[in-house]
Amino acid sequence: MKVSFVGNFGARPEVSKAILAKVTEKIEPTVLYDIGDSQRLIPALAEAEIVVSHIWKKDFPPAPRLKFLQSPAAGLDLIDLPSLPAGVTICNVDGHEQAIAEYCLMTMLALSHKLVDIATAFRDQSNWSGGGAGGGPLHGEILGKTVGIVGYGKIGRETAKRAAAFGCNVIAANRSPVADTGDAAEIYPLAELDRMLPRCDVVVIAAGLGPETRGLIDAGRLALMKPTALLINIGRALICDEEALFAALKDNKIGGAALDVWWRYPSPAEPNARPSHLPFHELPSVLMTPHCSSATDGARERRLGGVARNIDLYVRGEALRNVVMTTS
Amino acid sequence: MKALFLGNVAADTYEGIKGELPPSLDCVILNDPVDRSALPEAARDADILVSNRWMADYPPAPHFRLVQSVATGVELIDLAALPKGCAVCNSFGHETAIAEYVVMAMLALHHRFFQISGEFRERGSWSTSWVQSGTPHGEVRGSTLGIVGYGRVGREVARRAAPFGCRILAANRSPRENDSDVERIYPLSGLDEMLPLCDTVAICTALGPETTGLINARRLGLMKPGAFLINIARGQVIDEDALYAALSEGRLGGAAIDVWWQYPSPNEPNRRGSRHPFHELPNVIVTPHNSGWTSGMVRRRWDEIADNIGRFCRGDSLINLVTTA
Repeated sequence: MKVSFVGNFGARPEVSKAILAKVTEKIEPTVLYDIGDSQRLIPALAEAEIVVSHIWKKDFPPAPRLKFLQSPAAGLDLIDLPSLPAGVTICNVDGHEQAIAEYCLMTMLALSHKLVDIATAFRDQSNWSGGGAGGGPLHGEILGKTVGIVGYGKIGRETAKRAAAFGCNVIAANRSPVADTGDAAEIYPLAELDRMLPRCDVVVIAAGLGPETRGLIDAGRLALMKPTALLINIGRALICDEEALFAALKDNKIGGAALDVWWRYPSPAEPNARPSHLPFHELPSVLMTPHCSSATDGARERRLGGVARNIDLYVRGEALRNVVMTTS
Repeated sequence: MKALFLGNVAADTYEGIKGELPPSLDCVILNDPVDRSALPEAARDADILVSNRWMADYPPAPHFRLVQSVATGVELIDLAALPKGCAVCNSFGHETAIAEYVVMAMLALHHRFFQISGEFRERGSWSTSWVQSGTPHGEVRGSTLGIVGYGRVGREVARRAAPFGCRILAANRSPRENDSDVERIYPLSGLDEMLPLCDTVAICTALGPETTGLINARRLGLMKPGAFLINIARGQVIDEDALYAALSEGRLGGAAIDVWWQYPSPNEPNRRGSRHPFHELPNVIVTPHNSGWTSGMVRRRWDEIADNIGRFCRGDSLINLVTTA
């Protein structure tokens, strides 16, 4: 069975090696990191029955034997579906949702408790904030706060479960109807997001990027949020309007934000590219991380283990897990 | 019935609860910490004192029957200076806020949050992202949390940590009933058995003879290499020199320290919390003894105090009774 690992995620050495070490069935792997290398991409795709890649571009060469496309990521937004042959089963991975839920709780706590400001002032200036053993200006907490989760999938549910244990009131909005509400007290259809937003002390964007969510959090919806509300985005940057979010934070129209996903990413030519054309890094109410909320050791083990397991299942002719769709 | 609110915290408390007090209660508010000229008159016929301080040299207060502390610790209330039979009650409301801090600090340490977000903000470094094949950071799931001191704060920590999928152990001075969040509760004498199992150790115990210097060089040596230590209790529970050595030599993975071995004074308002430069260590989160200092804590504390004053006025049984003089 010919399996091609393609692109700067699936063919990254530590990823492909870790997956191959976990695969138990006999396969013939090809590893191609640079998708711009068409000399090698043409044969890699021409022969593979399985491709492991998070990306599929419109101009990719033909893949006549392809039956199974396994993404090593959760989001399929870089896969150009019309360019795939018919009858290809596409799977993604999970196992990152627990790590991302940890990030959501960590940042909603850190923003509420003003952890970075307090710890930085104490570290740099030994500023006891007018207190000493207790006292000084008060900070916030999350007990009793309303957490609204936009996109109630695996990440949203794991976040809800943890937030509920802190005594938060969890509500959510989801595109499709939700049968099992889990730890959320109430689920809104996405079309009624405007009714949910004014209630939230924390809004967590845990949705995938798609036509319904692109630009969803625009200036109008940011204005519906409480002036103290916190926004956490671990979904995709393009769900939020970049200019509108920057303006809302800069003018203190919302209380703060934790952003892990961005409008701009680094390239080999510009490895330290700023993540937006606007200076989010100059805003004191923003916590920012470089798209790493899921980059935990545990999530990596679970995800790469899931890819290897699916390759084994396919080779044995058994049912695949995490099937997203089959192309027609 | 008359109540004396003494000191600035008590005065703030009065402002927060005046609407909830019995209308018949006569309240006197003295919030000047220096001028005690009005105190003898106010203390003479007061039934209730709301304060965190009543010292031996204070004027006579023959009618005090309830001293309601505005804090948890009542070490500044001199029982000998109170009439016999006077109830002393304290107030809580901080335990859930501190539990939030403990879980937040545990997450931030495992996720290397300060380093990653700091480098990204200051230098635009993407080195930890998937885009640049960064070294993964840790997560709390599947790790073992050991809670030293399983009281009000410790239990709130366990309840919040459990859904993260951690294994939770605890050690406590007096025997405690097992609960569903904790796998095992060790006696404090079993601490040496618990420490080597923990990826995170959270100190949530009170300071007393059994806990002063409890976390010494030997016990720090029992912890896993790379383990994290969180202290929200009192500085003196941990040996200052030994902790600095363990952190600066990289034997521990990091720490979150909210309570200190030395405190600021009016002369030295920016005094460092330790004689060692903990603040220079990269994986140490330092905060100025304010883990529980939230607006919610103040509201809960006010509600408890208002509730207790109401109970006293109605002749009902009191909550949070510490002792009787």
